[in-house]
Amino acid sequence: MSVSDPGRGRSLLWTALLLIVVFAVVPALLASAGRSYLYQVANLIMIFSLLSVSMHLVTGVAGLLQLGHAAFYGVGAYCAALLATHFKLSIGITLPAAGLAAGLVAFLVALPTMRLVSIYFAVATLGIGQMLYVVMLNWVPVTKGPNGILLFGGLQFLGFDLSKPAPAYFFVATVVSVSIYVLHRLSHSYYGNALRALREDDQCADAMGIDTARLKLESFTVSGFFAGVAGALWAHTAGYISPADFNFNVSILILSMVVLGGLGSLPGAIVGAVLLIGLPELLREFKAGDYRNIIIGLVLFGAILFLPKGLIGETSALDLVRRQFGRGRSIPGHEGGVGWK
Amino acid sequence: MDYYLQQLVIGLSLGMVYALVAIGFTLIFGVLNVVNFAHGEIYTIGAFAGLLLFTSFAPPLAAVILIVLAVGALAGVGLERLAFRPFRRFTDEASLKSRAMREATLMSSLALSIVAREAIELIFGSQFQAVPFKLLLNNPIKLGPVTIVDGDLVILGTSALMLFALQYVLKHTRVGLSIRAVSNNALGARYVGIDTNRTIAWTFAVGSAMGAVAGILVGLYYGAIFPAMGFSPGIKAFVAMVMGGLSSIPGAVVCAMIIGVSEALSTIFVASVWQDLVAYAFLIVTLIFFPRGIFGGVRERV
Amino acid sequence: MLNRRSLLSLGAGALALSVSSAAFAQQPTYKIGYQLPLTGNTAQYGVDFKNAAEIALDRFAKANKPFKVEIVFEDSRSDAKEGVAIARKFADDKAIVGVLGDFTSGVSMASAQVYKEAGMPQLSQTASHPDYAKISEWQFRNITTQAQEGPLNAEWMYALGYRKVAVIAEQTDWGQTVVSNFADKFKALGGQVVFSEFFNRGLADFRPILTKIGRERPDAIYTGFFYEDGAQFLKQAKQLGLATPIHSTSAAYNQQLITLAGGDSEGMKLTATFLPTNPAANVQEFVAAWKAKTGQAEPGQFPAQAYDAVNIMLAALERAHAAGNVTRKSLRDQLAATKDFPGVTGNTTFDANREPAKQLVRAQVKGGAFVAVQN
Repeated sequence: MSVSDPGRGRSLLWTALLLIVVFAVVPALLASAGRSYLYQVANLIMIFSLLSVSMHLVTGVAGLLQLGHAAFYGVGAYCAALLATHFKLSIGITLPAAGLAAGLVAFLVALPTMRLVSIYFAVATLGIGQMLYVVMLNWVPVTKGPNGILLFGGLQFLGFDLSKPAPAYFFVATVVSVSIYVLHRLSHSYYGNALRALREDDQCADAMGIDTARLKLESFTVSGFFAGVAGALWAHTAGYISPADFNFNVSILILSMVVLGGLGSLPGAIVGAVLLIGLPELLREFKAGDYRNIIIGLVLFGAILFLPKGLIGETSALDLVRRQFGRGRSIPGHEGGVGWK
Repeated sequence: MDYYLQQLVIGLSLGMVYALVAIGFTLIFGVLNVVNFAHGEIYTIGAFAGLLLFTSFAPPLAAVILIVLAVGALAGVGLERLAFRPFRRFTDEASLKSRAMREATLMSSLALSIVAREAIELIFGSQFQAVPFKLLLNNPIKLGPVTIVDGDLVILGTSALMLFALQYVLKHTRVGLSIRAVSNNALGARYVGIDTNRTIAWTFAVGSAMGAVAGILVGLYYGAIFPAMGFSPGIKAFVAMVMGGLSSIPGAVVCAMIIGVSEALSTIFVASVWQDLVAYAFLIVTLIFFPRGIFGGVRERV
Repeated sequence: MLNRRSLLSLGAGALALSVSSAAFAQQPTYKIGYQLPLTGNTAQYGVDFKNAAEIALDRFAKANKPFKVEIVFEDSRSDAKEGVAIARKFADDKAIVGVLGDFTSGVSMASAQVYKEAGMPQLSQTASHPDYAKISEWQFRNITTQAQEGPLNAEWMYALGYRKVAVIAEQTDWGQTVVSNFADKFKALGGQVVFSEFFNRGLADFRPILTKIGRERPDAIYTGFFYEDGAQFLKQAKQLGLATPIHSTSAAYNQQLITLAGGDSEGMKLTATFLPTNPAANVQEFVAAWKAKTGQAEPGQFPAQAYDAVNIMLAALERAHAAGNVTRKSLRDQLAATKDFPGVTGNTTFDANREPAKQLVRAQVKGGAFVAVQN
């Protein structure tokens, strides 16, 4: 990419715009509303955005249906919580450690299962997710089992106390933005394209000289790493974790975010997270009461029915990325179909 | 020895419960190659429909089963119309191959299952429903050193009946032949003049009717009818189907039995809280050695 | 309202309106938050709490107190994510001076972190985690912990002559305390715990565990379950012909247990702090109001605890109001000062660790009802 490339300037503009929204506009709005509740919802949205974007790398880009993502989120949360309670470590150390632990676990479980294709892989991840959940719940001497882990001391970073809503928001926003940026670079690179080739036809990709098993392994590990980072963020911001936070329903929730936004689309994954975390809270404000979950189900159903490619479909999202961040090349004939043909 | 035998028998009856759910689930998966997340809710609907019938009209069990079959079939056809058919409006090759579309279908059934479960919960509340005691299928029968209950026999009989009826329908009737054709190659079936929409609707009707009957039978077997009752058997049926190799219904039944037995037998050696770990470990090991399920070797990669 | 109506009947319409609105302005309204599961798998408990709270509030409104109270109910779905968000929401609302709930210890404790930071008194009717009240000086609970109930049951069962006991409880923070507190005392008394295991909540089939218990041939089984798992356990025990006496805790105390398990629950013994058959006036008033409101049978242990929790909160509010200063801090201090509060679950006093001490009674299922027994 040359310096004179006009896409470069626009790319910077977009990045700057996004950063301004996340680090200035949203906090300003939150501060003027003066409600720590909104900070809490914003934090949750960001943590789940990271979860859904990390799942997007595996499910959206590499096309491997993942039904156990919450388990890696849990491994990260437990790793961070245990380090924080036993060794009094601050989030500066527990955060990367949680990512590494979750990445390592993802790597280990991916080793034997990478040969599996399509639904066989999906059900293997379901099984692994459930196994990790059972371990969190029942390995009482280490995880304290159903008692969960209580973190005292709040969010500390480099000696600063970030427990108050606004500093916590900025900390979470920074970590999530950097992580999503890394995932964005990964999924919109030649590496990402190789993953897409894998998704569309793994045998063909194999024939073209792409090491598919290694690619799957790597993407799964990276995805696990960032799920672990999200887990550490949840553990430190919530102050108490228990296995129920990481059960199968959470995996399904994250998957819904990825699919609702548009499978294969990174902005879509974020939009999905904003909707599925924001909507229940919004309905709470409107006193929807017992009908809250039915409405969420109906919205999910309606969105999928009318926009089966997702709210921000991959082709449109990729197009946007290519135009704004890449060389400004659009894909001919993408309006009609969905796939890559 | 008696102790091990008793655990084995309990495992088999557990496995039979999973098998009962897995039969309909596998049939539906086979025809569309899409996971139907709402099968568990069909199971719940069957249980509630049956219970309502019992408490309001007190008809004999056979009549209830027939009506529940009909309710399940209706629910299945409705589910297919709402959650699956709309996605077949895209018939271009790109859409047919697109993963986004396939995952969208999966999600639409999931969304409908959320709506159905929440609706049942709003109407009936999330607690266990009181099941009249005389209806319960849990009267113990002593068989030498082991104890079973009459429900075990009912479930065994129903599973066997379903399995054989299904084999007959699939092998010897027009509907069955077209179901097999569509599940083998949907596009090819269209080319030879099979009405795929109709066939798929039939499959949902049959599969869901079986799911609904499984719901009321297992509900009476355990005396536990509540809105979330379909969740756990649904997952186990899913696992059994995949272990069995997706396309094989007898394979799914055998694997359901394996899961049930491994859960019960694992209690002998470890605390019962670990039984899920054992069952899923079984799944992973099976998939490592049989990447396409135990009975799915003949099929091309899907 | 009564004031207003009587004044209106005097015929001085316009004057009366201004007077009554003046009287209304003098009557402050305090808000209390109540977070509880109203949807999801544990909704039945949350709905019970809501009914109990509304009965308590109704009774309070009729008592012509010098102030009004409003309870804001929020559905947490027993999900920690939602619980924490609700906690923030309550903490933001300056009018809310105290919070009740949540149902599970997990959600209560995640929310407690927020209340600790915000300085909000939190009174849970059911959080039984040993560390819950240790989080900060703002956490209270109105449930007997197993530290009290376990040893009591151990002594009871030992006195009945049981020496080999099997212990089984649900795999939750509460279940852990059921097993440890009972087993410690029972072993100290000289008994033997021959089997000790947990099960996952909502387990459909208890037969593998029951068969395993049967093999140990215990004199009795001590169980820690809620009524739904309890009903399954009892039915399947009878199915397998297990005739071992079964003991349980106050958590199983619910008429629904008998409705679901029928004759199979006959003979089960348990400890309880609340008996709807108690002839005391306040208990009978609550039972009658419960039946009228819900159309159900007698309330169980949990609704009774919720009813008392709300009343304890209201009483503390009343004392704070009388002292002329209702803030979160003053309400906390008044809650901490709760002494011998006469509730339907017995007299409640918070100790220095904000834990209640309660009187437990022994009960048994006989003829389709819970009745008090001596042993």
